[in-house]
Amino acid sequence: MSTRTEVNISSPTPPDLPRQSIGQRLQGLGGNARQYGIFGALIVIVLLFQVLTDGKLLLANNVAALFQQNAYVMILAIGMVMVIVAGHIDLSVGSVVAFVGGVVAVSMRDFDLSWPVAVLLGIAIGGVVGAWQGFWVAYVGIPAFIVTLAGMLVFRGLALVVVGETVAGLPSSFIAISKGSLPNVLGFASNMDVVTLLIGALAVAAIVISQLRARASLRKHDLHVEAAGLFVAKLALIAVGIGILTVILSFSAGGTPIVLVVVGVLVVAYSFLMGRTVFGRHIYAIGGNRLAAGLSGVNTRRVDFWIFVNMGLLAGVAAIVTTARAGAAIAAAGQNFELDAIAACFIGGAAVTGGIGRISGAIIGALIMGVLNMGLSIMSVDPAWQMAIKGLVLLLAVAFDLLNKRRAGTQ
Amino acid sequence: MVERTRTPLLTMRGITKRYKAVEALVDVNFEVHAHEVVALVGDNGAGKSTLAKVVAGVVVPDSGLVEIDGEPVSIPSPKAAQRLGVATVFQDLALCDNLDVTANLFLGREMRNAGVMQDGRMENIARSVLRDLSSRIPSVRTPLSHLSAGQRQSVAIARTLLGSPRIVVLDEPTAALSVAHTAEVLTHIERLREMGLGVILISHNMNDVRAVSDRIEVLRHGRNNGSFDAQRSSYEEIIGAITGAWQMAPASRASAPADREAAGR
Repeated sequence: MSTRTEVNISSPTPPDLPRQSIGQRLQGLGGNARQYGIFGALIVIVLLFQVLTDGKLLLANNVAALFQQNAYVMILAIGMVMVIVAGHIDLSVGSVVAFVGGVVAVSMRDFDLSWPVAVLLGIAIGGVVGAWQGFWVAYVGIPAFIVTLAGMLVFRGLALVVVGETVAGLPSSFIAISKGSLPNVLGFASNMDVVTLLIGALAVAAIVISQLRARASLRKHDLHVEAAGLFVAKLALIAVGIGILTVILSFSAGGTPIVLVVVGVLVVAYSFLMGRTVFGRHIYAIGGNRLAAGLSGVNTRRVDFWIFVNMGLLAGVAAIVTTARAGAAIAAAGQNFELDAIAACFIGGAAVTGGIGRISGAIIGALIMGVLNMGLSIMSVDPAWQMAIKGLVLLLAVAFDLLNKRRAGTQ
Repeated sequence: MVERTRTPLLTMRGITKRYKAVEALVDVNFEVHAHEVVALVGDNGAGKSTLAKVVAGVVVPDSGLVEIDGEPVSIPSPKAAQRLGVATVFQDLALCDNLDVTANLFLGREMRNAGVMQDGRMENIARSVLRDLSSRIPSVRTPLSHLSAGQRQSVAIARTLLGSPRIVVLDEPTAALSVAHTAEVLTHIERLREMGLGVILISHNMNDVRAVSDRIEVLRHGRNNGSFDAQRSSYEEIIGAITGAWQMAPASRASAPADREAAGR
């Protein structure tokens, strides 16, 4: 009785405070319930296929291959989630990958460019392609759907022009970008690649330190922090997760795949860009309410333009990874890549209407698709059925998101 | 006092804006002084919002002169308006539902240090501004989609204060609000006047207008249709000017060029 009175005195509910759904309350706890939800789904899918494949899914070489096979989706999904958050879409990235890949391969084979120069050239051409599409979207005002649909045709056509027939015989150091691993210069500790272990340890340390600093800064500004127990549990979970991944990878044939490092650097850099810089904030603002953003002094055209330039740059990176992995450039490369990237974003919690979506979500979405691919392949499921299953997963992920929102809205 | 009121904070002369065949504004004159709340009233489509958008830099007039502190200025963009000390709260609440309170308050003028946003500093300022307005918002981290209409209006008005503006334009700030929230917003407006700002209040609600404004300017079909002292004019006079039952006297029309000469001197 006395406790009840106490509670009533200490927390009078303001009359106009809207009632919150459980999901909103969880968000208030300092976390992102949806984000945890997708991460949980990834874990469940991994465990499911680990059982279904009799433990083959998490074999060291399979895990390394998982990253090597899906690096392109993750790289494209980073750019795509920014495009989608701003309320656009990009259907051209698959064709751009084929076009840029062709130019990079031809420049090395026919013009004897060294591979680092060819790589930079490829990324630059990706940027130019992005600027071309960004110009039409941002400054002419043609919907991105149309501009990039045209781009899909234009750049597929240009890819056919550049790559008449397969351009093979690329330098082995170029191919190593996708197929190679970091050299195990530090030797092995009971069969585990020490370089990989070191990277894993550094990653854990970096995450723990950055989380602690973020928490300290919240404290300093007298802002709400999540409960200490929850915080420690979260950190412990992250550390264990990365630890397991590191140990598995350190047993693989090569150790840490080079593309994993590329993807890791991009994820960190772009998460920072989206979360902590004005450019990232303006992307979310445009997606949330384009008119309001414009009225508030956000240069919406410039932001739109640079989103597409950035998408082009990342398509360039994906082109290099794809071409290196194939060991050759073919005009049909990158088929359906745009759909993979878009699916990864939506599975990862991006909103179809724009304004919502995270880099980490898109990466998890890409991993879910990758694990499905690999698990079903190990189980030798017919590719036709693999496609159907992936389609259903995409549909269910978005439906779940929508139902969740509707429930929160009506409460 | 007389010296201050002689040079208005904002002067608009002969503002004209056409959209194809539609005349949104025709030769409109308008003034706001410091420490003054000027209400802009008129029927739907009278041009109130267009005039507000001219001040806010969203609409560029076809012709006409805008002066701030007696200096001719052009306001080609919302950014330019911000720089000139004009802050606007739009009718269709220019807020982003997906962003939290702090992000909305600082949208378009984020505090940064070497390219990185200073979230902690912005949140502290956000809380103190909201506290000054005595608005009831649970947390500056709450996304706007979780706030009530009244709370969102508080955020919109708090936004205007952040840039330390000199002129605040409020486009229908009480349109969607309950009685209690309306009273709160009117208090905010009086606060803005006490702070020495010039306030342009656009409203349909004659009670609100008469409660807080010093002067009432009527627009009709995109033209000036009378200027009233809020304390001394009757409700009927103002309604008459809005609906056209009362036409602006030729005498006051003739006085406009004289004003222009005075401004030119």
